[in-house]
Amino acid sequence: MSTDIQTLKLLDFFADLNFGELEQMAPLMHLMKVTEGEVLTRKGEPARTFFIILSGNFMLSFKEERSFTLHNKGNIIGWSTVVTPFQYTGTAIALTDGLVLSMPGQEFLRLIQSNSALGDKIMRKINKIVSERMPYVTGTWGKGGTNCLALKL
Amino acid sequence: MFGFEAIIAHDGLGISVIGISIVFVSLILLSLAVSQVHKLIGLWDKRNTYYQRLKKPQKRGDQKIPSDMPVPQDIRRASRQFKLLIEWIGEPFPLPKLLDLSEKCGLSSPHSTINEFIKCKLIIPDDNGYYMWNKQIEEKRSNA
Repeated sequence: MSTDIQTLKLLDFFADLNFGELEQMAPLMHLMKVTEGEVLTRKGEPARTFFIILSGNFMLSFKEERSFTLHNKGNIIGWSTVVTPFQYTGTAIALTDGLVLSMPGQEFLRLIQSNSALGDKIMRKINKIVSERMPYVTGTWGKGGTNCLALKL
Repeated sequence: MFGFEAIIAHDGLGISVIGISIVFVSLILLSLAVSQVHKLIGLWDKRNTYYQRLKKPQKRGDQKIPSDMPVPQDIRRASRQFKLLIEWIGEPFPLPKLLDLSEKCGLSSPHSTINEFIKCKLIIPDDNGYYMWNKQIEEKRSNA
């Protein structure tokens, strides 16, 4: 089932997108139920699907078993679908039952590449998230640390 | 008398129209019934959910005094088991390892239980991607 524009409008990830851009995004996104313990992404596997959380709680784990949890509507999983080398950097597991919007990575990438204005807005959001999560991926923290990411991401 | 004359004389046309109508109406009713079978199957699949929904209002009415008591008790009970696992792993501990161990030990719903611990801050993140058991919260809960 594809998603309606109203649902996307309420998500922070799409806050900067205008109606026309949302219209382009909506048909690509599909509502998906997830159950407790379900694995959405596996570290090292080809990044084929991008997810946006609508409800539920998720754990993302990276190398050396470093992890953080996502609890908020609008949090994203699977930014690797639009970033080279297009491989998931972490494993995402549902801690509870929930709902996510899923989008095929190739279609998402195609849309970003074909519409530069839309691509710019999306990539800005993704870059911010990547920079926040990168310490978990690389295992290297700056002096200030990235405390309480679980609540912010 | 033969042929059409005989048919008309014995009201054959009327009877055939009624016959055709009966057959088609039956087919329509049958197709409508078949088209609704998925709803019946859906109801049957979710029978436990509906049964619990019917049961819940009665329970709510019965438990007027401390409405949120069962949840902390459940968490407290589960926390004893999880605390033992965390002590065995050592702190700070990786969350996936706790999840893996709790699954191997056969604890019930380890994912959602760990989520509850995080939400009520019994398990808190350190600054390096690992987690700690929050003794302060535990003490507060045991004093309460």
